[in-house]
Amino acid sequence: MIEVDALRKSYGGRQAVHAVRGVTFAAPDGEITGLLGPNGAGKTTLLRMIATLVAPDAGSARVDGIDVTTGRQQVRRRIGVLSDARGLYPRLTARENVRYFGRLHGLRGDALDARIDRLFATLGATPIAERRAAALSQGERMKVAIARALVHDPQTLLLDEPTNGLDILSVRTLREHLHTLRGEGKCLLFSSHVLQEVAALCDRIVVLAQGRVVAVGTQPELVARAGAGNLEDALIALIGSPEGLAA
Amino acid sequence: MKAGSETTFRHRAGAHRTRAGNSSLTLPSASRTFAILRKELLETLRDRRTGVVTLVSAILAGPILLLLIFNLIASQAERARDLALPIVGAEYAPAIVAFFERAQVRVSAAPADYEAGIRRGDLDVVLVIDERFAADIAQGKPGLVRLVFDRSRDRARPAIDQAEALLRAYNRTWGEQRLALRGVTSTVAYPLRVESADLATPQQSGALVLFLVAYYGLFASVMGGMAVALDTTAGERERQSLEPLLATPARPVEIVVGKWLAVCAFDALVVALTLAGFYLTLAYAPLPAVGVPFLFGGREFGRFLLVLLPLMLLLPAILLYVGSRARAYKEAQANVSVLLFVVSLIPVVQLFLQRREPGWLMFVPVSAQYSLLNTALRGEALALSQWLLSWTTPALLVVIALVAVARRLGRESILSGR
Repeated sequence: MIEVDALRKSYGGRQAVHAVRGVTFAAPDGEITGLLGPNGAGKTTLLRMIATLVAPDAGSARVDGIDVTTGRQQVRRRIGVLSDARGLYPRLTARENVRYFGRLHGLRGDALDARIDRLFATLGATPIAERRAAALSQGERMKVAIARALVHDPQTLLLDEPTNGLDILSVRTLREHLHTLRGEGKCLLFSSHVLQEVAALCDRIVVLAQGRVVAVGTQPELVARAGAGNLEDALIALIGSPEGLAA
Repeated sequence: MKAGSETTFRHRAGAHRTRAGNSSLTLPSASRTFAILRKELLETLRDRRTGVVTLVSAILAGPILLLLIFNLIASQAERARDLALPIVGAEYAPAIVAFFERAQVRVSAAPADYEAGIRRGDLDVVLVIDERFAADIAQGKPGLVRLVFDRSRDRARPAIDQAEALLRAYNRTWGEQRLALRGVTSTVAYPLRVESADLATPQQSGALVLFLVAYYGLFASVMGGMAVALDTTAGERERQSLEPLLATPARPVEIVVGKWLAVCAFDALVVALTLAGFYLTLAYAPLPAVGVPFLFGGREFGRFLLVLLPLMLLLPAILLYVGSRARAYKEAQANVSVLLFVVSLIPVVQLFLQRREPGWLMFVPVSAQYSLLNTALRGEALALSQWLLSWTTPALLVVIALVAVARRLGRESILSGR
């Protein structure tokens, strides 16, 4: 469960960039919440604040009731982060990449290896487990990065543009896996600027534009609210311009 | 947390404390630091190309350098032993020529373009006898002989010295004979008797070799950790693996200490291999016998490692700091060349100053180590107090550098390109 309340963040001094200006929303457990917005809408900054990597200027964010500024370490144990850049270590094998993060989360020995085996099996990554990350395809790297984000069995998963650079088949695998996680009662927060992704995956959509929440709701709700025929028209109506939204 | 099958795996003690703890109040975790150290070492060992190049050049530095130097010394000694002296105008002073021949000097007629020959390095030294030599002597005037050489040529120096010494000896013998004819003892003309007593111990005579061994020891402690330190900081940032890492419970101080220990380990390995190269070459290689009873044995090897220990901890910390300030590996490499320049320049400056070293030198990293290395190489005992003093500044700087890197990792700007 993620609760974000009037969160603000700006970068720089005099000519500050207001990345996030007063965002409020909630992402409940057992649902996939999508952050949809054009490039530069503040999605990454928002996710980084929830992931305790960036401190908010004002407002608050809580993960499972724990504040991200006062309970940093607690929050970090409860979240899994899949950043835009997969950031695997190219010289380590898929398994070693995941094992490293498992150790940082306090997991050890056989229990950790068994956990990695299970994750790789569900993700269909068992054949590549002993291959170096440098030799993996984009889709395979994504699988390893997901396994790494899930190694400590976090209740909350933050995914920043997880489908970037993936082929259709890999996107499909990802989608299925995220649905499974939702079925397990996890809280999933997913950011994307690709409309179709969000529409196909998310139960609830938070539309961001220029650092503000423009609309929140399910797909039919958004369409109805904008009085448009489909989601794309609805979004363009809500955001004010089609700029930055990939078709 | 979801209960059920996943709760079976073991968590680190205290990982699930319910009270939200501020990250700055809890102690760093040794197990996370160790996990980071382990991963960095594994990653370094996997980087075959960098690893092989670093290790091979470390091992080969000693043998190659020593071989070159010993051959240089040997060839100089040879040149001094059998001096070849081309003479212009040998017919004007046959007595001088005969004197040189008696001293086992290979005398020959100089080619017409002897000056060009000296400039090219084909000839070391040429003796020119003035055509009015015999006439001047007969009139009681000093006879003119001229030695032509190029002193900037190191190789020629022994030959030049030898030719000068022989001419001086001839001059003196001739003078003594003239005095003897007049019934005067030679002490009238030469009241001084100069005797030289060289107090250099056998180890001290190979000064150039000493300098190079010390220099390479220092150099290895910079080069050894460089690739790893930059890869683990600037490289990690460039590959964008830093963001997921920072989102784990691993805290900046744990990350920095883990990485630092990994770099130190590799640095120590490279230093040890470099010194081992020198040790093995001097102990077993068939080096030309040049009369440099130079000593770098097991004891010196151990002392070297002890002296370099503060640097093996300090330089990795500084390299990590330099690396953490760069956005990419290449940028870091450019910045690190400044550090390399300073470290390699200090011993050279010290070599040329040749003054008695002031006491505060022990507080200057690199300088202190260079001075202690020289002490060890001269076969003198290392003073424990000096060694402990040489730790002061490095220890302080290690803490400052590591705190600075940890603070950089804690900053938000590390995630962006700024």
